[in-house]
Amino acid sequence: MTPTRRWAGLAYVAPLVVFLAALFLVPLVELFRLSFSPVDTYNAALPGFTLNQYKRVFTEPYFYGSLLETLATALLVATLCVVLAYPAAYVLARRSAGAMRTLLFVIVISPLLTSVVVRTYGWVVLLSGNGVVNRLLVATGLRDQPARLLTSYPSVVIAVTHVLLPFAIIPLTTALGGLDHNLHRASQTLGAGPVRTFLRVTVPLSLPGVVTGALIVFALAMGIYITPLLVGGVTQPLAGIRVYDQVETVFNYPVAAALSFALLALTLLSTTLLAGAFRIWERRLHG
Amino acid sequence: MAERRRRFGYDRAVGLLGGAFATAVFLFLIAPLVVLVVSSFNRDASMAFPPSGLSLRWYAEVLGSPDWQVSFRLSGVLVLLVVPTTVVIGTLAAYGLAQGSFPGRRLLQGLALSPLMVPEIITALGLLYYFHGVGLINTVTGLWLAHSLVALPFVVRAVMVSAAQLDPALERAATSLGAGRVRVFFTVTLPLLRPGIIAGAILAAVTSLGEVAVTALVAGANTTTVPLRIFSAVQYQLDPSMAAVSTLLMAASVVVMVIADRFARISEAL
Repeated sequence: MTPTRRWAGLAYVAPLVVFLAALFLVPLVELFRLSFSPVDTYNAALPGFTLNQYKRVFTEPYFYGSLLETLATALLVATLCVVLAYPAAYVLARRSAGAMRTLLFVIVISPLLTSVVVRTYGWVVLLSGNGVVNRLLVATGLRDQPARLLTSYPSVVIAVTHVLLPFAIIPLTTALGGLDHNLHRASQTLGAGPVRTFLRVTVPLSLPGVVTGALIVFALAMGIYITPLLVGGVTQPLAGIRVYDQVETVFNYPVAAALSFALLALTLLSTTLLAGAFRIWERRLHG
Repeated sequence: MAERRRRFGYDRAVGLLGGAFATAVFLFLIAPLVVLVVSSFNRDASMAFPPSGLSLRWYAEVLGSPDWQVSFRLSGVLVLLVVPTTVVIGTLAAYGLAQGSFPGRRLLQGLALSPLMVPEIITALGLLYYFHGVGLINTVTGLWLAHSLVALPFVVRAVMVSAAQLDPALERAATSLGAGRVRVFFTVTLPLLRPGIIAGAILAAVTSLGEVAVTALVAGANTTTVPLRIFSAVQYQLDPSMAAVSTLLMAASVVVMVIADRFARISEAL
């Protein structure tokens, strides 16, 4: 663009800014104001200002417990996703273009292209009383009778990990695919075997991809609510589900808003801390 | 020599183990979808797997049901509204962000992608409260705007990949040859952005077809999209008709993708 057209770039962005201001920023600001509104006995918002909602969120275990539980779950899911994503991304990055690579790639992005409801419903079928997993457990003699897998915490972790796994695989595949193959050859001519080369050359160089994937998965896991709701039920102690419950059954919007913003603050804070910790770790490794 | 052979065997074993692990991960990714498709052809009303026999009765039931027909039509209408809206706004913005160098560009880029960073429950709750005030709850317009908001960052991101690779010399050449600004945009810029635009359109279509997190809060009895109807049904009952609808929804996404993949590689945009 010529200098005058550089400024014209702003005109191209204008519709987006208007759209996001009207449908994203204004609703968030309104919601933030609502979180400070007093409520009457029917949980309807009244004019005025109160910190009561935030007091409830940070003193009632029902609310702050769900925030801690969400944090722990998001960390667990992010760890699982990185561990599971690594071998898949490694295979994907090393395969040369062809039918097999396309097939594997379609498998990896298939969760992104199907509705979250569809994916989660697949897990409901797999984990139900007479589902595949239970039949396998009984057939192999690991259990005498079908286990109650749905509405359990492990099933929530499994389903959420499944839904978010592609977000870890894609950046990791990009990072692994961009590695200079000469480095592997150099390492091997210097006498390191494939395993040692993998651990001392490939893994350290792919860390940026690992970090990106882990942070995306973590942030998404903090706010996810449809998947745990379908697999685990409304009693799961996760913040997203508690917000939904306050809205759909208690109709207390101000408390739901306060809990949402506590969740948002926790998400931003912990993502920033994690990103900082990763950066220090990387600098040490390469320093 | 013996030492070397031993090490070779060890490396090979580790390699095989890694391959097996990767295979397990790919199976984990695809398993729920495969189970769902197979269950939809079950002859019985149970979700037992594998099915006792095959039939198409659940597809007939779903396609013949007036409730589901209304939902199919609504989901289709929403895709037709959301894709053009997000593609126009998103393409213009991605072009401006990638090629312009005005102050605050990075800030606006952050803003453009910010709906991806905010937990979905907060976006949903914000729209619910806001739509209550302006009377857009349980309306097609409300869902159109909500789906566009959710899909927009994907379109911006996809088009920005193409826009960043755009060579400004081509536009300058067209201008020096006498083409006006509008003509340059439509005959030079847009064709060069095509791969990104197509990828963005697919992502927008697929997002709208599958959206539940926000829809669940802002839709109502008159505006039940296909995935929302599955969502409410799955909470209370478990029968193969839901698997049949899910399979149809998945097939719709695959069709959108296959058609568009003929024109662009969407893998680069993700």
